[in-house]
Amino acid sequence: MKEPEDQPKNDLCRGLAQLLEITDDDVVTAMRDLPGYLDITPGDFRELYEHAYAYAVSRLTHNLHASQVMVRDVVSVGPATPLTEVAETMARAAISGVVVVDEGRPVGVISERDFLSRLGGGRQVSFMEIIAGCLGSKGCAVVPLKEERAEELMSSPVVSVGEREPLCVVADRFHDHKINRVVVVDDGGRLAGILTRHDLVRAIFGTVEAI
Amino acid sequence: MRLSDYLAKMRPTTTCPPRVSMVEIGWSWLGAFLGIAAVAFANYRILAGTDYVMVIGSFGASAVLLYGAIKSPLAQPRNLIGGHVVSGVIGVACYQLLHPWMWVACAVAVATAIAVMHALRCLHPPGGATALIAVIGSGKIHALGYLYALIPAGLGAVVMLFVAVTVNNLASTRRYPEYWW
Repeated sequence: MKEPEDQPKNDLCRGLAQLLEITDDDVVTAMRDLPGYLDITPGDFRELYEHAYAYAVSRLTHNLHASQVMVRDVVSVGPATPLTEVAETMARAAISGVVVVDEGRPVGVISERDFLSRLGGGRQVSFMEIIAGCLGSKGCAVVPLKEERAEELMSSPVVSVGEREPLCVVADRFHDHKINRVVVVDDGGRLAGILTRHDLVRAIFGTVEAI
Repeated sequence: MRLSDYLAKMRPTTTCPPRVSMVEIGWSWLGAFLGIAAVAFANYRILAGTDYVMVIGSFGASAVLLYGAIKSPLAQPRNLIGGHVVSGVIGVACYQLLHPWMWVACAVAVATAIAVMHALRCLHPPGGATALIAVIGSGKIHALGYLYALIPAGLGAVVMLFVAVTVNNLASTRRYPEYWW
């Protein structure tokens, strides 16, 4: 008998289980594929399957670790890097976020969201609002950022996970902090990689397919 | 529980499983024919004129499972043999202890057989009939005493199991048993 904490409790596991949900019709069709009488109703089989699938997702997310899924090639900037350079770096690498690293340790994260919220004076503004402002008489809202450095804009402290944390912990971190990426650190607290929601979903479905 | 919740439980939740193929039906027929033929031949030809019996009504029910629903846990060897022997003992005990109150003996025999089969993980629906038959009789069955649990209940089950293992595995689409014990 499994303990309740083994059951997937985060929204990601439940979401995945729902994505692969099967219907009674699926079961009836599958029953036609197999010769012989099966001593279970389609509804009971579906229920059993859903429970087993949730356990499988839970097992996968417990056994896979952050280091197996993270992207190691992280684009980073220093705390003193001018925002002009930060923006150029992000544009060149076509990414929506960079890690701010000070002597190997992640100290903050800058994302598109940080730029937009700074431009809105703390309020989250949309890209189109900035365009509209620039095109209007107010002048370009982005210009004041020119003098600022990475450490002034970055979100900190960094939400991070250890390399050896299981994916279920990573998923909980996404959910609890309402974020889309976490920084992965090694045992010494140094930047090891970055892990997005996208990586997580791909890892789990990739593993499911491999099996 | 509210009455509406209680009544809602009577609404269907799913559909009836699909019909099996004609080939499958053919194998079910053949297995059942051979399995019942074996015990019935022993009963009417070999044991005729003796005090022994080899065929009891519950074997008809076992045949449904052994040859018609072979993937069911209820149809596996442990359930078949365990179910008949355990229920046979319980049925005979109930008759011997409770026969002055036949209706009580019947009810206790079947209910207890189900409970014990559950507890021993050998639930086999025909076992309920085996227990009931031990109470109802014939006189010939009553005269067997506890031997009834071994012959016909246990031995007949073994013979039908032998036929099930032999015949079911001849079919390319069948594999029996799923577990022995």
